[in-house]
Amino acid sequence: MKKALITGITGQDGSYLAELLLGKGYEVHGLRRRSASFNTSRISHLYDAANPGASRLKLHYGDLTDSTNLTRLIAEIKPAEIYNLGAQSHVAVSFEEPEYTADCDGLGTMRLLESVRLLGLAKTTRLYQASTSELYGKVREIPQSETTPFHPRSPYGVAKMYAYWITVNYREAYGMFASNGILFNHESPLRGEEFVTRKITRALGRILLGAQSCLSMGNMNSLRDWGHARDYVRAMWLVLQQKKAEDFVVATGRQYSVRKFIELAAREIGITIAWQGKGVAERGIVKAVNPPPGLAGEVKLKKGDVIVRVDQRFYRPAEVETLLGDPAKARRMLGWKPEITFERLVAEMAASDLNLARSEQHLKKGGFAGLKNC
Amino acid sequence: MKKVLITGHRGQDGAYLSRFLLEKGYQVCGADRSGDSGLWRLRELGIEGQVQEIALDLLEPTNIIDALEKVKPDEVYNFAAQSFVQLSFDQPVLTAEVNAVGVTRLLEALRKARPGAKFYQASTAELFGSTGSAQRNETTAFHPKSPYGVSKLYAHWITVNYRQVYGMHASCGILFNHESPLRGEEFVTRKIAAAAARIKKGLQEKVTVGNLESRRDWGYAREYVEGMWLMLQQPRPDDYILATGETHTVREFVEAAFLAAGFRLEWKGHGLAEKGLDAATGRALVEVSKQFYRPAEVDLLVGDATKAKTKLGWAPKTKFKDLVALMVDAELRRLGKKKVNL
Repeated sequence: MKKALITGITGQDGSYLAELLLGKGYEVHGLRRRSASFNTSRISHLYDAANPGASRLKLHYGDLTDSTNLTRLIAEIKPAEIYNLGAQSHVAVSFEEPEYTADCDGLGTMRLLESVRLLGLAKTTRLYQASTSELYGKVREIPQSETTPFHPRSPYGVAKMYAYWITVNYREAYGMFASNGILFNHESPLRGEEFVTRKITRALGRILLGAQSCLSMGNMNSLRDWGHARDYVRAMWLVLQQKKAEDFVVATGRQYSVRKFIELAAREIGITIAWQGKGVAERGIVKAVNPPPGLAGEVKLKKGDVIVRVDQRFYRPAEVETLLGDPAKARRMLGWKPEITFERLVAEMAASDLNLARSEQHLKKGGFAGLKNC
Repeated sequence: MKKVLITGHRGQDGAYLSRFLLEKGYQVCGADRSGDSGLWRLRELGIEGQVQEIALDLLEPTNIIDALEKVKPDEVYNFAAQSFVQLSFDQPVLTAEVNAVGVTRLLEALRKARPGAKFYQASTAELFGSTGSAQRNETTAFHPKSPYGVSKLYAHWITVNYRQVYGMHASCGILFNHESPLRGEEFVTRKIAAAAARIKKGLQEKVTVGNLESRRDWGYAREYVEGMWLMLQQPRPDDYILATGETHTVREFVEAAFLAAGFRLEWKGHGLAEKGLDAATGRALVEVSKQFYRPAEVDLLVGDATKAKTKLGWAPKTKFKDLVALMVDAELRRLGKKKVNL
């Protein structure tokens, strides 16, 4: 039975990847950090006894900043594949915590590579490094491919660049099978709520039901290449099934603005938005409300309500204006292409978060306002 | 009086820059973790006791902030690093902690404690690694080939990032190899120069080197520190390459060094079996060993310093052969206990 180790298994990608690998018959080991708050909600359905792969999923306490811990785990597990998805992955937070971000995202990757090397597993264990389109930052060309030079714009981007190149270096210096997937934005209902897409769908669901009045946004003109995480974890797996270790851009090759994301997500749950004003003074106003059937008594939103405002606080110190990936190489060599369209992605997220907002409201009405949906 | 803080001031570049700035009338403060082992450089440059020693370690953020608040520097030059490429393959974690994360700590501390200070980051030609034979300029894409190179790449970009995000006067000097009699002995140029002198004096039999065909763009460190200072005197921060634009092989360096010591070399054999023989006696003076090859070699490093010439008015003066000769001469003088002219 093939064994895989996933760092960051409790995150969005970790959850989808674990599901994919369990489905392929792998024994999946996941690294989780100890936390005072519950952090395994995204994978709880996988180790539920009802899931046929549950017995093949094993969680270990660990941390990318702890070398001995990583070395011991890799020595015990001897995984055929390591997927390094663990990271301080929030760009804005990296400006507040640049040192930790470097330690975890940058050095953490090197600690994994070093562990594999010193355990004598360099020829048997393959490593996937979760690289990111944030490496391109202030883009040098459009679209961005495997040969586009990097220009990171945040401590997160710089730390991830360290990880990218140390992965390349261990491949070149020691002949390790170590590959980077340069993934453009990939979202899903499992995306963390601090990320802009999820923040939008989460807010819109609550706004429709009157549980929140307004959505505060940063730069709505930012352009992103958004795919569905479920499609992207398939690419990760394919990257490690190649004959030769190489780096791949994984993207849809299509681009939308943050504003477009808001409009589509709102439309999915029956809200039509009209935009007024410019720059920081811009506002999104409800033009019409036609909620999905079955919500009649629950909708509080009405025409004319201001539901989107711009707040300077959500602008990044150095903005990444545009990201557009060229997935030609992944398509040619991995035979990979995304199957879920942008429209379906937004619809799935909006619908899922409307459900979440409804369950919150029901709990509140029942007098359980303090309870979180888990 | 202007105040400067130099991290790694007992290293080659730190020592030369200390002297250069003392001559310019700066008050120079230095932080270095080498202990006694680096003091000889200041002694040889005649500035021992003139640099105020500061306890500052790039591993400790609060210590950095404290040091900046005490010194209140107008300019900060960051040379402190695990700077030996070969060792970075054995100690990649320490190399990254100091060379990469250390710069983040320093920039964060500056941002909080001394945001108006100008900052120089010692970037390196190792960022380019090997991507063909073209000359490297400030727009060439990077491809580092060692944990050292990767750590320095991080440091380069985090410096650029802090400049762009917080408007700090932070500049990177991408320096191609720069040598001098003050180079550490673990570096190939100093090792060869010292060996040629010792062999001349009968104190050593032979020297063992790695890849003879490695090509480098070698300049004189003493001249490069002026280029660094010029970067911080510009109204706007920016990144500059300092280089000679000429490359020579390790083999040429070996030949020139032994010639300066009075030996003419003849080469015999190939690859790892190749030897450099004294043409007069046939004695083997130079041997090759795999031990000194890097796991991933950078094949050719040549820099294009046009931007530094145009904007800073900086250009290297000392030619390759003169550089090698002055390094060997310094070693001979050291062995003769004569005053060294650096």
